[in-house]
Amino acid sequence: MAETPTSRVTYDFVTRAIARTLGNPGKGYYALLTLAVALLSVGIVCLLFLLRYGLGLAGYSHPVYWAVYITCFVFWVGIAHSGTLISAILFLFRSGWRTAVYRTAEAMTVFAVMTAGLFPLIHIGRQWYFYWLIPYPNERGLWPNFKSPLIWDEFAIGTYFTVSTVFLIMGLIPDIAAVRDMATGWRKKLYAICALGWRGTNEQWRHYTRGYLYLAALATPLVLSVHSVVSWDFAMALVPGWHATIFAPYFVAGAIYSGVAMVITLLVPIRKLFHLEDLITVHHFENLAKLCLLTGMIVGYAYCVEYFTAWFGGHAAERAAFWYRAFGPFWWASWTMIICNAFLPLLLWRKNIRTSILALFVISIFVNIGMWFERFVIIVESLAGEPFERFANATYNPTWADWGIMAGSFGWFFMWFLLFVKNFPAVSISEVKEVLPVPQRGKARAS
Amino acid sequence: MKLANPLTAIFHPPPTPGVLGVFGHVDAVVDAIGQLRKAGHTDFTVYSPIPRHEIEDALEQPVSPVRMFTLIGGLAGCAIGAWVTLYMSYDWPLVLGGKPIGSIPPYVVIMFEMTILFGALSTILGILFNALFAARRLGTVAYDPRFTNDKFGIFVPAETARAGPLESLLRGAGAEEVRRA
Amino acid sequence: MDRRRFLTVLGATGGAAAAASACDIHAEPTEHLVPYTVPPENQVPGIATYYATTCRECAAGCGLHAKVREGRVVKLEGNPESPINQGRLCSRGQAGLQGLYNPDRITDPMARGPSGEWQKLSWEDAIARLQSKVKEARGKGIVFVTGLESGSFGELVDSWMKELGGRHATYEPFAFEALREGNRLTFGTSAIPWYDFANARYIVSFGADFMETWLSPVGYQNGFTRAHAFESGRDGSMAKFVSIAPRLSLTGMSADEWIAAKPATEFMLALAMAQVILAERLAPSPADARGLERLLPAPQQAATFVGMEARDIRRLSREFAASKGGLAVAGGVSTHYGNGAHLLVASVNLLNYVAGQVGKTVKFGPNHALQSAGSFEQLTDLVVDMSAGKVGLLFVHGANPAHSLPAAFSQALGKVAYRVSFSSYLDETAAASDLILPDLHPLEQWNDARPRAGVYALQQPVMQPVFPNTRHTGDVLLQASGKSGSFKDYLQTQWRALHQRYGRGRGFDEFWSDALQHGGVYADAPAQSVRLVPGIAQRLGGLGGAGGVAEQRLLIVFPSIALHDGRGANKPWLQELPDPVSKIAWHGWVEVHPETAAKSQLANGDILQLESAHGTVRAPVWITPGVRPDVLAIPSGQGHKAYGRYAKDRSFNAFELLSDKPTDFGGRAFAVAVTVKKTGDHRRLATVEGDAREQGRGIVEVLSLTKARQLKRGAHPFEEEEMPPYARKALDAWAEAQHEKASLGNYAGEHPRWAMAIDLAKCTGCSACVTACYAENNLATVGEELVSRRRQMSWLRIERYYTGGEEGHPVGAVVTPMLCQQCGNAPCEPVCPVYAAYHTPDGLNGQVYNRCVGTRYCANNCPYKVRYFNWYNYAEPGGEWESWPDPLNMLLNPDVTVREKGVMEKCTFCVQRIRGAQNRARLEDRGVQDGEITPSCAQACPSEAIVFGDLHDKTSRVAALAQDPRGYHVLAGLNTRPAITYLARVVHGAVVEG
Repeated sequence: MAETPTSRVTYDFVTRAIARTLGNPGKGYYALLTLAVALLSVGIVCLLFLLRYGLGLAGYSHPVYWAVYITCFVFWVGIAHSGTLISAILFLFRSGWRTAVYRTAEAMTVFAVMTAGLFPLIHIGRQWYFYWLIPYPNERGLWPNFKSPLIWDEFAIGTYFTVSTVFLIMGLIPDIAAVRDMATGWRKKLYAICALGWRGTNEQWRHYTRGYLYLAALATPLVLSVHSVVSWDFAMALVPGWHATIFAPYFVAGAIYSGVAMVITLLVPIRKLFHLEDLITVHHFENLAKLCLLTGMIVGYAYCVEYFTAWFGGHAAERAAFWYRAFGPFWWASWTMIICNAFLPLLLWRKNIRTSILALFVISIFVNIGMWFERFVIIVESLAGEPFERFANATYNPTWADWGIMAGSFGWFFMWFLLFVKNFPAVSISEVKEVLPVPQRGKARAS
Repeated sequence: MKLANPLTAIFHPPPTPGVLGVFGHVDAVVDAIGQLRKAGHTDFTVYSPIPRHEIEDALEQPVSPVRMFTLIGGLAGCAIGAWVTLYMSYDWPLVLGGKPIGSIPPYVVIMFEMTILFGALSTILGILFNALFAARRLGTVAYDPRFTNDKFGIFVPAETARAGPLESLLRGAGAEEVRRA
Repeated sequence: MDRRRFLTVLGATGGAAAAASACDIHAEPTEHLVPYTVPPENQVPGIATYYATTCRECAAGCGLHAKVREGRVVKLEGNPESPINQGRLCSRGQAGLQGLYNPDRITDPMARGPSGEWQKLSWEDAIARLQSKVKEARGKGIVFVTGLESGSFGELVDSWMKELGGRHATYEPFAFEALREGNRLTFGTSAIPWYDFANARYIVSFGADFMETWLSPVGYQNGFTRAHAFESGRDGSMAKFVSIAPRLSLTGMSADEWIAAKPATEFMLALAMAQVILAERLAPSPADARGLERLLPAPQQAATFVGMEARDIRRLSREFAASKGGLAVAGGVSTHYGNGAHLLVASVNLLNYVAGQVGKTVKFGPNHALQSAGSFEQLTDLVVDMSAGKVGLLFVHGANPAHSLPAAFSQALGKVAYRVSFSSYLDETAAASDLILPDLHPLEQWNDARPRAGVYALQQPVMQPVFPNTRHTGDVLLQASGKSGSFKDYLQTQWRALHQRYGRGRGFDEFWSDALQHGGVYADAPAQSVRLVPGIAQRLGGLGGAGGVAEQRLLIVFPSIALHDGRGANKPWLQELPDPVSKIAWHGWVEVHPETAAKSQLANGDILQLESAHGTVRAPVWITPGVRPDVLAIPSGQGHKAYGRYAKDRSFNAFELLSDKPTDFGGRAFAVAVTVKKTGDHRRLATVEGDAREQGRGIVEVLSLTKARQLKRGAHPFEEEEMPPYARKALDAWAEAQHEKASLGNYAGEHPRWAMAIDLAKCTGCSACVTACYAENNLATVGEELVSRRRQMSWLRIERYYTGGEEGHPVGAVVTPMLCQQCGNAPCEPVCPVYAAYHTPDGLNGQVYNRCVGTRYCANNCPYKVRYFNWYNYAEPGGEWESWPDPLNMLLNPDVTVREKGVMEKCTFCVQRIRGAQNRARLEDRGVQDGEITPSCAQACPSEAIVFGDLHDKTSRVAALAQDPRGYHVLAGLNTRPAITYLARVVHGAVVEG
């Protein structure tokens, strides 16, 4: 069966191969880690300035009240979507190829949400009062306003972070146990604690598999809801270019699209760094590529629909908004987005491109760029165009504060991710075994 | 004379006497399970690096009660979502954009998210509770590190006297090695 | 401001109030301190006291009410009793406060040390030094230069100069010499008459910017709108206004017809119009005017010269005469071209005269004070004397010639042996002097003014001096001349004469305190009848094709409405006020017509080097269809070399380009031929303008007069019919149900719905309301850099959209004030996660600053874009973006929070005033009366375009206006249910699309 990794792979081989990733990863790894930390510190410095002097340091203007920070927020939330998709939805669909990649994807999800969650806190005017958005009893008898999409966000993102984290930990438990049983010294003690006494008894497996199934069943609607809610931040507003019913599916597709692209971007170097070629094969990449192609085409379709309805609806402001998008001062952003997201992925129709790691890596990076610009286009251009109050429309120039904090967010994300792959099994030990031929007496029969 | 520390009994219970068989092949384990159950053994423990349906079938275990946790958690979450939104709206009624104080459609979002959140958390609780804390004779049954790697195992509790026939049974079923604990 | 000064001023009102009468407008404050430990009678902390005084920001002399809280004057408003400004006030007048609290005021007398540095000295030394210098300079020529001083202070200076054998020269950079000379030519009097705009039915302005800086802008704008407004109640005949000018000024934007005549040819148009009126016997011309048509140019003769159609000239003449209320005025840029400008005035006078309007709409008698202002020629003579060393001692007070006459005067100043300045600020002239004796600010001092014959405006101190060591120049002069008593005594002796005339048998003290309470004595001046000077027609007719400017690139320097001749440049409110036409703040610009710009590939913000025979400036381009292709225009007022942090080294000084030689009528030429060089540089214009075209969004609706007249009651020409009736009914029912659901808690029961009606047929775009909003609501001024990044905080902005301008048609402009619409279904409210934006039971969109966390979602969701965000901490003392450096912070309105960094802010219809009125009503156990509450914008509006009230009170004015057929809601299609009803602008002739 095409799904199985190369034939010399046995249970024992899998355990050792993956356990090896916890050993010394070599110079390349530390170089990347240093880079990540450096970026993060840049972001922190910019943030300190922002807190001291105010949001004026960023490029905002009247009427562009949301810009790069919210763009990054949506971008990272989007990234976070493929993880749960692969681990939950594909799990329910019983597609075996996910086993080799879902751990990475899930970790990416958790850290992407951690990153995304920072931006709403950074971008508000009085960051030190962020907790006023949380419903806690206070002497003023004030509660948050649950009609505000921002509060929906808070709940959606919060839930998503919690659930995807426990989902990740659940999957880790048997693998940590396996690592525990190979490790020695203090590491053994550490992993023993993390393994929560896992031994793989029939009782444990019985409850574990059930529970995992239900978690997957819950995570599936969740992953679809989260980006819908994020999209409603915009769709609920009356800004032409935001106020569209297509936004929820459009954003979800886009999210998965960008997420899968990011998985590819991450898997390629990890595979090299940790020598996982036997476990993560071209076959897996090809499947990811197919997923990319599918979602990419949905996104492309959504673009067409947006422009079509703007024209077909005949609302002057709506038309003005989209004219501004395509031919306004930010035309370059719009066209970058359309080329990277709608046209580039069409290359994936060709098998030889789908199966070329390098090509995929390059395309995935362009898709990431394109998806960042998609959010920039939707947020900044719809505001700057200001199709209602002609007198108020204005241009927008990002500043060092915008770029610095954005860079910081990448540093923050990659730092966590690199630390994870070094210290925990980056590929699921037990689940990869599940797709191997089970050892039987006599000849090995496929499971 | 030295007094026994009562905590020792809880944290370091005496190992359960019994026989541990290590298997390399899943079908051997299945055979062994069949023979054991024929011989009237019920409370033995089966180790496997991955969940296998053959084993589950051979053991004919009931469906895990975890799903009840999920159901109750989900319903509770939904209810809490509804209560939080409506109570907090009416606690200090403020009109916004000409909308009613307690307008359900936006609150559905909160209710949904709370359903998922509580459902997921209680599922985790269910697993932990059942699989770890409620597991019988936790930590007292014999175990072999290879069980998380590539070996299967069966542990049958038995007094030394009655260990002999079990050993032969396991070996007969195809155990690669058999130990007394 | 530090604690001590606060207590000082705090004490001051104690005394003030103790002496105050029961009347709401109080008499003078006594000068001794009463600490609050003994709470004074009828002085409640938190209750404002009002003092009547007079505005000295320009020569118009508007009446003021100064609002004083705890001893600090916090706002200036018009004095309703003043016949000059009818209780209205322009931006410059309101910004007087920032002159009073200006952080760059001179705090102590100073003298130049040996090495040229400033040394503070005591007043005794200062006055001693002054006296010794006077002794030395006797006979060597003593000159006292002041601004226009129509009151007692001027007389004091006159008399003192007589004693010393010196001379008193008054200097106003814009002194209307052409007007005076023109009147002398035509009527034999150089008086400046009072123009009765209110009763005019047809107004032709030859360049006169009577809403900006021309004579008495507030009063004239008020009169203009009375004539030009369209009231559905009235017969709906609204006066027509034709503007003849080379550029579209604020005044021109209100015109029904704009004729961009060739520069310096306007007089021909006036003459031709007079000729038609006479030839066709269109008006009952006075006897001595009959038959003059033979001497005057015929339309076809004038047409080519002026550059317009002969039939248009005939049409104008007929309409002018037929209106039976024609008023033609000349001034502004049209009288600034230089030689011969007085002939334009003469021609216009002739036009008025033959139309029989002199004595009707042109009233001699209540003449304007400016007739006594010194002419430019007198100043240039002085400059000659100075450079010839004939001036040994020069006093300067209330004038800054070193800025408006940069080269010549500054050089001449160097030749003067000793220079004494009484300026409150270190302006260019003061900086070049040897001794500075800082005067009190007009709001701190006694004085009076006669803005026009019959009006005696009093000026009283409304608070203790902000800087205790400054001193009234009047007192200084009296002391220096060894006279006893203070200037107040001098003033009162002057007023005893008035007491004789207007005392009506009351005692002087009663008369005096009465005058103080009402801001002065207002009497009618007897009308003078004037006759045409014989032979004037011959002379004017004889001009033929003479005059006119050579075909070079002509540059016009027009007076800035905000900065005027430059005296406004040190006031951040005026600097940040976007120019009503260009919408550019904090910087000058050069207006270039699109064609010209296209020819030499210019873009907005490109820096041009403008070089005249007299100087060179570098100015950023602003491309506008509102200027003739062969003309460039730049505003005056910027480019100070000194004058404090807000003015110094900002932009360019337009006066540097101008000739320093007087014209043939003794005035000054504010136009000059320039050569234009393109520098590579570029500057980002600090403009608040987005799209210059409204693009049919229904923000500004315009009706033709004929259509407007046909509208019946209950008609809704602008109503958005977005849905079929049944759907509308369903929606209304649904909305009603929603409202039911929402009626609980505070929302249950009866409430007013505060609302506003803005009549665009009245609004001229003068932006007085904008400054009023800054003053009332503690809006921060953010400076040029932030304005250029669109971070201005103006809750109320005036939007200016161009209309027309297609081939052959002149461009026009429409304006509208855009402020929070207080929507019934406000998009901003539901999106706020913390209820900072919420709906008050009385229908306002409340904004709880302390609750706001600054997500800015509300601003994104506001279709009107009237929410503003505090990007920085503008109140941080010493901070980089500090908006109120000490003592500017003393003008903050104590009733309004100063917002913190990171919160959203917006207009709330001056909610502090609403609550104040409600509390007062509750104390007096009555309801709030209609008209009792006036938001600051409505209060300032010189054209009375804004009406505020309760929509639920069916008898209120606003409720009636909301039903007006001209009424519409901006972006009504969004179903936001705004509380502001705009009344469509009405124009003569066809409506041009935006």
